[in-house]
Amino acid sequence: MNKQEIDARFVSIRREAERRAEHRKREAIPTIYIVMSTCGLASGAAETKHAFEEALSHKGIQARIVPVGCLGHCYAEPLVVIDHPASGFPPICYHQVSAGRARVLVGSYLEEGDPVLEYVLGAMERSDLIPSVMDFPRFSLEQRLVMEHCGHIDPDDIYQYIALGGYSALARVLASEPAEIIHLIETSGLRGRGGAGFPTGRKWSLARASETGGNIAICNADEGDPGAYVDRTILESNPHQLLEGLAICAYAVGATQAIVYVRAEYPLAVQTVKRAIRSAKELSLLGPGILGTPFDLEVSVFEGSGAFVCGEETALIRSIEGRRGMPQHRPPYPVEKGLWGRPTVVNNVKTLSSLPSIVQKGGSWFRAIGTASSPGTAVFSVVGNVRHPGLVEIAMGTSLRTLIFDVCGGIPNKKSFKAVQIGGPSGGCLPESFLDTPIDFDSLRQAGAMMGSGGMVVMDEDSCMVDVARYFLDFTQKESCGKCTFCRIGTRHLLNILDRITKGDGRKEDVELLATLSEDIKNGSLCGLGKTAPNPVLTSLRFFLDEYEAHIKEKRCPALKCRSLTAYYIDLEKCARGCEVCVGCCPVEAIFTTRGRKKGIDQKLCVKCGECLVACPREYDAVVKVSPPGLAPIIERPPDEEKSVGGQG
Amino acid sequence: MVTIVVDTKEIQADDGKSVLQTCLEHGIFIPNLCFMKSREHPHASCRLCFVEIYGIDQPVTSCTERVREGLVVLTATARARRLQQAAFKLLMSAHHCRPKACPVRGGCQLIRIARHLKVGLNSQPLERLERAIDEEVDLGLFTYYPFRCVLCGRCVHVCRQRTGHNLLTFAGRGLKTVVALFGGGDLAAAPCRHCGACATVCPTGALVLKGEQGRAASADSSLRAPQIPPR
Amino acid sequence: MVQDIAAMLPAFERHRGNLIPILQAIQERHSYLSGAAMKMVAKHLGIGPGEVYGVATFYNQFRFQPPGRHRIKVCLGTACHVAGGEIILENFERKLGIKDGETTADREYSVERVVCVGCCALAPVALLDDDVLGRMLPSKVEGLFVQFEIERQRQEREKVARESGEQARD
Ligand SMILES: Cc1cc2nc3c(=O)[nH]c(=O)nc-3n(C[C@H](O)[C@H](O)[C@H](O)COP(=O)(O)O)c2cc1C
Ligand code: SF4
Ligand code: SF4
Ligand code: FES
Ligand code: FES
Repeated sequence: MNKQEIDARFVSIRREAERRAEHRKREAIPTIYIVMSTCGLASGAAETKHAFEEALSHKGIQARIVPVGCLGHCYAEPLVVIDHPASGFPPICYHQVSAGRARVLVGSYLEEGDPVLEYVLGAMERSDLIPSVMDFPRFSLEQRLVMEHCGHIDPDDIYQYIALGGYSALARVLASEPAEIIHLIETSGLRGRGGAGFPTGRKWSLARASETGGNIAICNADEGDPGAYVDRTILESNPHQLLEGLAICAYAVGATQAIVYVRAEYPLAVQTVKRAIRSAKELSLLGPGILGTPFDLEVSVFEGSGAFVCGEETALIRSIEGRRGMPQHRPPYPVEKGLWGRPTVVNNVKTLSSLPSIVQKGGSWFRAIGTASSPGTAVFSVVGNVRHPGLVEIAMGTSLRTLIFDVCGGIPNKKSFKAVQIGGPSGGCLPESFLDTPIDFDSLRQAGAMMGSGGMVVMDEDSCMVDVARYFLDFTQKESCGKCTFCRIGTRHLLNILDRITKGDGRKEDVELLATLSEDIKNGSLCGLGKTAPNPVLTSLRFFLDEYEAHIKEKRCPALKCRSLTAYYIDLEKCARGCEVCVGCCPVEAIFTTRGRKKGIDQKLCVKCGECLVACPREYDAVVKVSPPGLAPIIERPPDEEKSVGGQG
Repeated sequence: MVTIVVDTKEIQADDGKSVLQTCLEHGIFIPNLCFMKSREHPHASCRLCFVEIYGIDQPVTSCTERVREGLVVLTATARARRLQQAAFKLLMSAHHCRPKACPVRGGCQLIRIARHLKVGLNSQPLERLERAIDEEVDLGLFTYYPFRCVLCGRCVHVCRQRTGHNLLTFAGRGLKTVVALFGGGDLAAAPCRHCGACATVCPTGALVLKGEQGRAASADSSLRAPQIPPR
Repeated sequence: MVQDIAAMLPAFERHRGNLIPILQAIQERHSYLSGAAMKMVAKHLGIGPGEVYGVATFYNQFRFQPPGRHRIKVCLGTACHVAGGEIILENFERKLGIKDGETTADREYSVERVVCVGCCALAPVALLDDDVLGRMLPSKVEGLFVQFEIERQRQEREKVARESGEQARD
């Protein structure tokens, strides 16, 4: 099939998309874009949408409501962009648009033309009227490639993606030889975004070499890291870019079947991708005889049943085969012998989503972004103690400092930075002295962390590093598939030791034991889960040894986090007589009244939830948290009060 | 035939056979529990068979390495030993060893490995792990002792080989993984051939045929065809 | 239930790869997998029932007991952990007298832990059935149960009112 014929087929689709876009523009009625991905919905976007609809029909105003995917600004959710051409203002982005704000916006802006400046985050375009979000560091320091269209288009409308140039890379690929495409990806230097950073072009040529006439391409969207939601957001916000990438990959490696492996816990992503596949099939962009060529690609969605280890490619394949998701020894690699014994290429969502722009703009364009050894961009979900959490896409090589302090606004509440955890359960915690580390595969690995699948948790001085290590080990220990000795049993020992340290039962030999055991698990485990599981322990031992020692030797948690090592007490000097706020808030009635109607805490009953510390009015600030617990002065419950526990306090 | 060197000894070996099997056949012992000749794809779960191979920077499991011309294998380097011993300690911390009550007595593979590695049967300095699983499970024809099981999967494998089904399977995940027969011991409905192969290949005393509590068990059963007791 | 499953199965091709999709479909409709259900699936696919059981018990998604009428899920993802999700979980556990993964004796509530529900910016997060409750505090847990109680009493009153209304009509 020659280039002209494919082009002719595609151009007619492209024309239709442009016609629709043109039509929308001509209509000249306001458009309200509402972010309706999981984070938006969790913050109440559905109610916001409902409020807009009601207010519009109530006032009889004509406007179009377009649900869009995530813009990445989770801190400002529910986010709404209103494009009201008649008002003379550029499209404006509003933050925290509750149902109430939605009603105000309809009344003030759409009806009266006042854009309600106090709800404005910024204008989406540069103009003299309203500062543009483009000039905020959160936007200007980012470089969006994978997430370029996320939040700007309706994920359910394939034409919106096509109007922005979507699927033209696929049309171009279909007119070339697979070997040319593999060569292009090799020269682009693209490395897999699933964690390990394996060169994508190399993987493809290996698969091509063992071609059997029916290879399989799998998109890995299992994303089991408990703090990452990058892949899910991409699926929910721009599924077509991924599907286009998947089709390009399939064509290049000679696959006739493609599977998107998404976790069942991501219902919105599953549904969005399924709908996207259907609409791409209708336009002959997927399915049999794509764009009239002999290239057939059957695409389906497999819902993963929630096991972290199934993100590992051999386990993932086992689970599609309907077996227990236990990793297999490699070789044979999936590219030689994968799903149902056929050569199989497994690529991450971000890897595949990068492909269309590489095909369109060329390998050297891609190489120019990022660093020499890690070209392109990295997408992180930055959460924890930062002012502007959310999804961030930056060029590789950007320093951690820029990402955390400039892009994400630094640490809130006047606290200081302590550590950043990168790569989730397989990664590690890096301290302040590593903030100038450039973000790329090799530098992070050298520092002891890992790119992982894009989870980044920023922690302030109130986070205990021993507790964080314990948290991740608790996770990996539960998620170990149980096949091999080191991971199944070894991670439990690590967890037990960390558990006893955080409970104040640490022994002086524990640090040594943790280090040796971690080293053995790393070297002895069968798959990547076990090999990387000790990383949180190893990095925290390396950078925060003093915290381990404080826990073990002094039974003290420097961050006042480990509950067995802390206590709350009420400073009698500061306590206001009889304000009683703390008494009402304590869930276990541990707070009693002592002499002078002042309050005391019964240490035996206290569950250390910290509620009284929050509740005590700021002008008194009488509740104090200390570690070790022995520092809390003993205040006896007066005998007469004991009888009236639960009475009127 | 190719020539390889194992700990200074030259060996004529079949090209493509696993290093572990080759060594065992030539009387060189490497600790192992999960290896079986008949497993097409090595299970590689016990992590006891680490050796060092010239040219590979990390110790590797010998059951997954294939023999090729000129291979140089070292079975007792410090690094390989460290991993072998670490894996053994870990297994022993989850394996409740009570020699007096053990149905396989001295025949247990774990004892042989301990002797080879010159370590005791305890797990020092690791504590013994307790788990919320049953002490003893009645599987009809057999009794299963989860705290003795090392999850080598040999029983599961032979069962599938014999019956074409996974009557015996792993159930659960992680440290709670056990060998199970769905519906307990109701073997009447299942296509069990009552061959007892599973109990025969068990390297520890975890799967025991009822009424066979004194079996001198599988001394290196990886190289021996499992005996089929009369029905 | 058995009949319903028997009616569902023919829609799935007898192919090993369909095992997990079938189990998901059954759980979707019946909220858990019973022993009988797993046996039927085994028969449909021509594999041993042990195999179905072995696969089902491997994955977090599958339940073997019916859950409570209200399912409370507490997020213990990384961001929620750092923000004190465990304290929230404990409050639910204490309030209901059950541990995570359990269901109250009246089958009214079940509590489970989940990892990252994808709105870390609202940490700590809990889910009540499908509603996301962000920025949780122990006092909000208390408040929730007060709300439940009010709701229950309201329903009770309505029921009484309805019944007495019906009686009046009779
Ligand atoms: C325990 C474990 C979990 C993994 N989880 C994921 C995941 O959630 N998403 C992913 O894309 N890759 C994951 N991987 C990596 C995959 O095995 C595989 O390398 C990757 O999907 C290849 O895609 P890439 O070449 O595009 O990076 C995981 C690996 C391990 C060992
Ligand atoms: S390292 Fe852990 S997850 Fe991987 S095979 Fe071993 S037990 Fe399973
Ligand atoms: S019962 Fe025996 S043969 Fe089966 S897995 Fe356990 S130790 Fe191995
Ligand atoms: S014999 Fe090699 S890992 Fe068990
Ligand atoms: S960690 Fe709780 S929502 Fe992400």
